[in-house]
Amino acid sequence: MTGGYTGKILRANLTDETFKIDPLPKDWIREYIGGDGFAAKLLYEEVAARIDPLSERNKLIIATGPITGTLWPMSGRTVFVSKAAQTGIWGESHVGGFLGPELKYAGYDMLVVEGKAEDPVYLLIQDGHLQIHSAKDFWGMTTDKVTTAIQKKHNDPDIQIAAIGPAGENLIRFSAVIINHARAAGRTGMGAVLGSKNMKAIAIRGTGSVEVADHEGFLELAKEAHDRLRNNPQAKEMGKWGTWILTAVKQQIGELPTYNHRTGVFPGWEKLSADYIRPRYTVSDRACFGCSLGCKKLNYVSHGPYAGTLEEGPEYEGLMAFGSALGIADYPTTLKANQICNKYGMDIISAGSTIGFAIESFEGGAIDEETTGGLKLEWGNSDLAIKLLELIGKREGFGDILAEGTRRAAEILGPETEPFALHVKGLEFSGQDGRTHRSIGLGHATGARGADHLRSLVTVDQLGYQDVAAERWGADKLPEIVDPYTETHKAVAVFETENTYAIRDTMIVCWYSVSWPPVFWMRDFANILPLATGEKSLGDVENLTKIAERQVTLKRLFNTREGISRADDRLPPRFTDEPMPEGPGKGQTVNLEPMLDDYYNLRGWDLETGLPTSKTISRLSLDWAVTNK
Amino acid sequence: MSSQLLVDYTKCTGCRVCELACSAKHEARFQPSLARLKIVKYDDLGLDVPNVCGPCEEAPCVEVCPVYAMRRDAVSKMVYLDHDKCILCKSCAGACVNGVILLDTYSMRIIKCDHCGGEPECARMCPTGAITYGPTSTSKTVDRHSKILGYLREIERSAEAQESGGVE
Repeated sequence: MTGGYTGKILRANLTDETFKIDPLPKDWIREYIGGDGFAAKLLYEEVAARIDPLSERNKLIIATGPITGTLWPMSGRTVFVSKAAQTGIWGESHVGGFLGPELKYAGYDMLVVEGKAEDPVYLLIQDGHLQIHSAKDFWGMTTDKVTTAIQKKHNDPDIQIAAIGPAGENLIRFSAVIINHARAAGRTGMGAVLGSKNMKAIAIRGTGSVEVADHEGFLELAKEAHDRLRNNPQAKEMGKWGTWILTAVKQQIGELPTYNHRTGVFPGWEKLSADYIRPRYTVSDRACFGCSLGCKKLNYVSHGPYAGTLEEGPEYEGLMAFGSALGIADYPTTLKANQICNKYGMDIISAGSTIGFAIESFEGGAIDEETTGGLKLEWGNSDLAIKLLELIGKREGFGDILAEGTRRAAEILGPETEPFALHVKGLEFSGQDGRTHRSIGLGHATGARGADHLRSLVTVDQLGYQDVAAERWGADKLPEIVDPYTETHKAVAVFETENTYAIRDTMIVCWYSVSWPPVFWMRDFANILPLATGEKSLGDVENLTKIAERQVTLKRLFNTREGISRADDRLPPRFTDEPMPEGPGKGQTVNLEPMLDDYYNLRGWDLETGLPTSKTISRLSLDWAVTNK
Repeated sequence: MSSQLLVDYTKCTGCRVCELACSAKHEARFQPSLARLKIVKYDDLGLDVPNVCGPCEEAPCVEVCPVYAMRRDAVSKMVYLDHDKCILCKSCAGACVNGVILLDTYSMRIIKCDHCGGEPECARMCPTGAITYGPTSTSKTVDRHSKILGYLREIERSAEAQESGGVE
């Protein structure tokens, strides 16, 4: 097999309780590289259109890339791919930690979970030793408990475990898969897909190796890459403060989602900022596999109502979701919420956003205490937010409705709640606001999995990296391209950023070496991929761009097969019609349509329907996908 | 002269770059299971503990070897393995208090750190300075267990609060 890959796809069929090992098709490498590229190809081919994502016919894929498990910095990530439980369209969720490398050391590039077990089970993969065990004793356990229980049972603390908690078991739409206590494949409801298959956990232990095509050449470049990261001043800051540093940045440009995205500035932001949190709560710094940065923080609350909470995180997104977005200026609340989300196995972004939707609906008179089970919903109430979160995790009372996510909850609660349900294609908004960061408005509207910040988020405008923008897109596009308050050139920025991220997600490398700080870009990928794989064509930036375009368009085709079109590439009126009420971006709205036109033109998608044109499909060699409806 | 691998337990982030770098250098591939050192990770506590070869007051691996294949340098205190004498009995692997002597069951040989002949790759690649290489006498005293002990005390103290207030 070509370097970097193990050359094997492991399939576990839960219905028949059988395993099968397929060879990795060699022609996939040249056209899809790996990671979610392979997963997109496989999912499109094997999961039929319009099936229920929680049915036996859905599949869950764990995929790695050619550099997973090597010394290339931050190459320990893994992707979970499935038809999304939350949205019914393309679902993917990347996760850090150590799971992906372990899968490769066990000897597999991908794991495909198929079918449905009759009774609760977990998978145990120890190199070539493959087993399906009963998980009857573990069903109902929180993720931390089941992780420890499985490691103890098999007497190996180095087993990597991807587990679901009660949320996944209860098919909560935004349930997550949690890896070894604190790494979350959070978005789009991967936990529910596993839950629907009666699959409690996937336990992996590998002792093998990853071998690249040119070991010496690869090693030299990888070491140089580590040095570049370590000497990058922004990366150093990132290592020290983690993603919390974003709170201040966002407040400064008026993009800190507050009160369910009603406004972009939060008076209590300082208590959610890195300067405030780290000296008071952080116990130690941690890192994912092969990372020089170490953005993970372990935190401990020593006093107050959440005293005794010891947990990693939350990331900026969690700070936003249970902090500013709910009007709560209290870090321990967000840590507690993160702990509950990790234990139950829930996505903190969607959980917080759904609670925000409920509070605003209550405030706006669209629901009352009869609906909430006697709870008076209000902003800035920590106890209430935690209480609601626990109700969701258990699907109890009002929590049972919120466990469906904002889109479904609004359908249940009636049209009066609709204006407060902020989502795109069923996925709640991440912690950005298109009104004061125009490019993300387009990104949220067009993201393959919904209102997503990880597939095309442009950071150079948000953070004002003029030099980087000039280098990537030409000095002639300055200053507009780094101005977060204008639509001009934003489609170009989103298009090219999304392309680079697509390659990032096939390799797979961490977001933080590519986006923020912007250390690596397409050229760096083109330099390392041939050394890893031996495949020369991956050394050409133009070819990588084409692979990226294929990738984005293939996911689009997956979605159009489910009925998605231009009409779904929209933002809620909050972002397009309600001007930002205050702060530095006061008065701003998103003018989406012209950006959409530009974006479709760049992608080769039809302006009217938003579907990839036949010319584009054949240019990207995706004709197989059209005949495979 | 008598340089050793020194570990600052407060700095390790558990990234395992050292394990990757070690296997890349000695095995010409990426295989942490054959690294000459190991990061022991306690993900439930968020704690990472690097285990490296030395510095050892006594050298149990030398004491236990039945065929005198382990030799300890009197000056550097570093232990070297003579593969020609080794009978693969694994006594050293069992005796090593740091658990960093291994049997590679594929190539059937004992794997043991040799400090890369004086330029250890793990120390060179460690991103945080948790693992360094230098004379033991000049290093600041690194109390091996202080961080962990303090940590455990804190957790014990708070366990009650967490159980009563937390999720089950």
